[in-house]
Amino acid sequence: MGGALLSLALLSPAIPADAAANADALLIQRCSVCHADARGQLARIAGQRKTPEGWLMTLVRMQNTHGLKISDEERRALVKRLADKQGLAPSETAPVRYALERRLNTVEQFESEALTQMCARCHSGARVALQRRSEKEWAHLVHFHLGQLPSLEFQSLGRDRDWFGVALKEVVPDLAKQFSVDDPAWKDWQAQTPQPVTGTWSVSGHLPGKGGFIAEMSVKSQPDKKDHYVVSWQGKYDDGSVLNGQGSAVLYTGYEWRAHVDVDGVAWRQVFALDHDALKGRMFQREHDEIGADIVAVRHESGNSRVLAVHPAYLKTGQTGTLTVVGNALSGKLALPEGVRLLKIIEQSPRRIVAQVVADRRALGVHTLSVGKTKGGTLAVFERIERIRVLPEFAVARVGGNGGSEARVDARFEAEAWARSASGEYRIGLVPAKWSVAPFNADAERDRDVEFAGAMNAVTGIFTPAPAGPNPARHLMTNNAGNLAVTAEVTDGKTALQGTGQLIVTVQRWNNPPIP
Amino acid sequence: MKKFSLLATLILPLAFATPAITHAAPTPDNVALEKNTAAPLVPGREYMVVANHPNLLHVLDLVSNRVLKTCALPDAFGPGSIQIAPDRRIAYLLNNRFGSIYGIELDACKLVFKADMALQKDERAKSFFSIAVSQDGRELYTVQNPTLLLKDHYEVGEPRLAVYDTAAGLNAKPERLFPAPRQTTIMQTGEDGALYILGADLYKVDVTNGKTEVVLPVRDWGRPGYGAPDVLYAWPIQTPRREFMVLYTAPRFQDEKQDLEHAEYKYGLLSLDLKTGKTEVRDFTTLSEIYFSGIRSPKDGNLLFSVLNGLRKFDIAAERQIGSADLDHAYYQTSISHDGRRLYLSGTLNDVAVFDTDSLKRITTIRLPGGDMSLGTAQVFIR
Repeated sequence: MGGALLSLALLSPAIPADAAANADALLIQRCSVCHADARGQLARIAGQRKTPEGWLMTLVRMQNTHGLKISDEERRALVKRLADKQGLAPSETAPVRYALERRLNTVEQFESEALTQMCARCHSGARVALQRRSEKEWAHLVHFHLGQLPSLEFQSLGRDRDWFGVALKEVVPDLAKQFSVDDPAWKDWQAQTPQPVTGTWSVSGHLPGKGGFIAEMSVKSQPDKKDHYVVSWQGKYDDGSVLNGQGSAVLYTGYEWRAHVDVDGVAWRQVFALDHDALKGRMFQREHDEIGADIVAVRHESGNSRVLAVHPAYLKTGQTGTLTVVGNALSGKLALPEGVRLLKIIEQSPRRIVAQVVADRRALGVHTLSVGKTKGGTLAVFERIERIRVLPEFAVARVGGNGGSEARVDARFEAEAWARSASGEYRIGLVPAKWSVAPFNADAERDRDVEFAGAMNAVTGIFTPAPAGPNPARHLMTNNAGNLAVTAEVTDGKTALQGTGQLIVTVQRWNNPPIP
Repeated sequence: MKKFSLLATLILPLAFATPAITHAAPTPDNVALEKNTAAPLVPGREYMVVANHPNLLHVLDLVSNRVLKTCALPDAFGPGSIQIAPDRRIAYLLNNRFGSIYGIELDACKLVFKADMALQKDERAKSFFSIAVSQDGRELYTVQNPTLLLKDHYEVGEPRLAVYDTAAGLNAKPERLFPAPRQTTIMQTGEDGALYILGADLYKVDVTNGKTEVVLPVRDWGRPGYGAPDVLYAWPIQTPRREFMVLYTAPRFQDEKQDLEHAEYKYGLLSLDLKTGKTEVRDFTTLSEIYFSGIRSPKDGNLLFSVLNGLRKFDIAAERQIGSADLDHAYYQTSISHDGRRLYLSGTLNDVAVFDTDSLKRITTIRLPGGDMSLGTAQVFIR
C-alpha cells in the first residue's frame, strides 16, 4: 500500500486529487526516507498528535536542521493534513489556548512541580500540554532535548538534580499518562459532525489601548479548497473609528480557525476556536503579537438567538448612557434590570439594539440582560469606584530594534474598576486612566530604569521600550532593561484612585516559535 | 512569562544560555589587530592568554600590559576554556562550540594538537569547560557528553572521560575511555597524578583505570544547618596557589525547622589543594549579589577577590567585605599575578581590566583585538 502510494506520488505529483490523499502521499514521499520503520509505518509521526502550530514547528525544524526539502505550499498541505488526522480535541486545547493565542503575559500555574521545573523553566508549560504522545515518543523527546541542548542539565533547576534520570524515570511516565496520544477525547471529537462556518458573523471585541469594537465578518468558501475561506470585515470601534479588513482563513481539525486579515495595511492573525456557531479567541498583529484583541462572534445563519455583548458594559448611576447590545436573531423587548430606565430605543435590528438609558441606586451590581427570551451580555451599574486593578498585574516588554533582528515588544495596560456592594466586590469594567511608571525598587531607582527603559503613554497605557543593545550611558553599560511599577490613576467624580502593576522591560526574545 | 522568586531571579542569570549582559559587537576599527605571531615568549616573564570572538587567541605581556600577539584559531569560537601546559609552551583550548580541543604552541602560534569530542560520524559530543593537562604534560583529559544522531531519533549516551596523548597530533584519538558521571564540568590535575572533576560532587579519578571516588560531596553535602548548595562554575582557573577553587551559594537555616523561606543565603568557597589533595569548605559572605568567579591571593589565602557586576575583596575568616571597586561593565573571571599584586578581570566584552590588589584601584585596561571573550577562561602564567 505504502509502495503503491509512493510510486503514484512520484509518477504524478501534479494530478489534482483529494487534498488529504495528496498530503498523505507527500507525507510518505518526504518523511519515510528517515521515518519508515521495518513495516513501512511512519512510527514516530503516528505516535504524536499536535495543534496546527505544533505540526508547523515540527516541519520547520525538520527543514532547518534535518534537511527536509519542501515548498511552502507543501508545508501548508502537510500541516493541514497532520492537524486534521492527528490533532487535538477542543477539550484538550481548552486549558492552554492562551499559548496559541499568543498571550505572552500569562503567568502559568501548573499543579505538577515536575512539569513546571523540568519543562516550563525554558518554554511555556502550554507547549507540553498542547502535545499528545505515546510514552515512547515522550522518551524520544527527552533524548532530543538533551541531545540538541546539552547545556540544559547544567542550568538552574537542572544541575540541582539528576536531570536526565528524573526526566526519563519520572517525567516521561507522567506525561504519557497526562497527555496520552490515545486519549478518548480525540476519538470522540473525530466522530462529531463537521461544523458550518460560512456566512456572516457578528463580532464583539476589545483591543487594549484602544477599546471595544463591533464588526461583521463575512466568511465564504474558497472554490475547490476544503476548509479554506475568504474573509472580510466591517466594523467600528466604540470611539467611532473604522475597522475594515479582508483576508483568508483555514479551519484545522474541524474547529481551529486560523486567519490572516489585512486591516488598513496591517497584517493581523486570528486564532479562534469554533464551537457550535460561535467563535472565540484572539486576533493580533502578525509583527507585534502583543497588540491583540479578545473576540467573541456568533454566526447569523445559525438562527440561534444570542446576546454577545453590551458596549459599554457599565453604567454609572445618575448618568445617561448609550448601550449597544450586539448579538444574533434578537427579537422582542430589551429587558433592563430594576433601576435602569429606558429613555429611548435609538436602533433595533436582529443583530443590534442601541438604547439610551439611565440608572439609579436600585440597579447597583452586575446584571445579565435579555432580549425577548434570550439572555446574555452583562451590564454593571455602579455609584462609585472602590478599587482599581492594573491589567495585566505583571507584564513583560522587550527592548528591540536599533539594528538588531528583533523588534521591540510593547506592553499594554488597562485599568479595571471594581465597586463594592453589600454582597461584596463586583467588577465594573475597563475604564480610562492616566498612566505613569516609577522605579519598582531601590535597584531600579539607582539604575535610573525609568529614564532608560522606555516611555509610558499617559493616555493609552501603552509602554514603548527603548532601543536594544548595551547603553554606555548606563551603569555597567547594561542594556535598557528595567523594573518598573505601573500606576493607573482614575478619577471618579472628585475621588482619585490608583492601581499598580509591575512591568519588566527585558532583553529580546531570540527564539520565538509559534507556541512560546 | 513566569514569575520567579527573588532568589531565583538572582540565580537565573547563571544559566549558560542567558547571560545577563548583552555582548557588544567586535570592534576591530577601535583596536589595531596585532598579529606579531612569531614573537617568542621570554622565560621568566609573566603573561596572560585569553581567547575571544571571532576566534582569536591573544598573549598579553603583563609587564607592559600590552597585547604581545594574536593567533588566529581554526574552526569556531566557544567557550574558549584554556589550560596551560606544565612547560608553559602550549595552551590547550576547548573551543569549536564546545566540540574540539586544540593545542597551540605559543611561541609560533602553531597548532600542534587537535581532538574532536565526537568519536564517530553520527555522534554529537560536547565538553562543558572540561579540560585538564597531566602534571607531566603528556596527557590531556576531558569529559565528553555524547549523543547519537540516529536516522529518526536521538539517543543520549553516557558521559565518558577521554584521555589523550598530547603528542597525538592534529587528529588525536583517545588513548583510554572511562565512564564518567553526568553533569560534570571543570577539572584540574593534582600533583599526585589524580584528576579532580567537579560535578554533582567533587570527584577524584585514577586516570589509569577510571576508578572514581567522591572526595567532597557537593549537591548532597550533608552539611549540618545548611540546605543544598548551588554551584555553577565555568572557569578552570590554574591559580598561583595551586588550588582548585569554586564558589557556591547555599541556604543556612535559622534552626532545626530548616525553613528555606527564612534561611540566610551564604556565599562560600569549595577548594581542593592540588599539592596535598586537602579539601576546604567555608562561607565568606552573605549572598547579596552574584559573583561568577573568585580567586585567593597567593600571598594571603585569607584574601578572596570576586567579580561580576563589581569587584569585591573579602576577609574570609572574618566573613567581611574589605574592599570594593565599581566596574564599567560586568566581568566574569578573576585572575591574579604570581606575586599577588595585580588582579586581571576578563570575560564578557573585549577588554582585560588590571587592578591593584591592595588599593583595588584600576591600573589600566588592555583592549583586545576582536570581540567578546564571553565565558572563556584566561590563564596567567610565567614562562
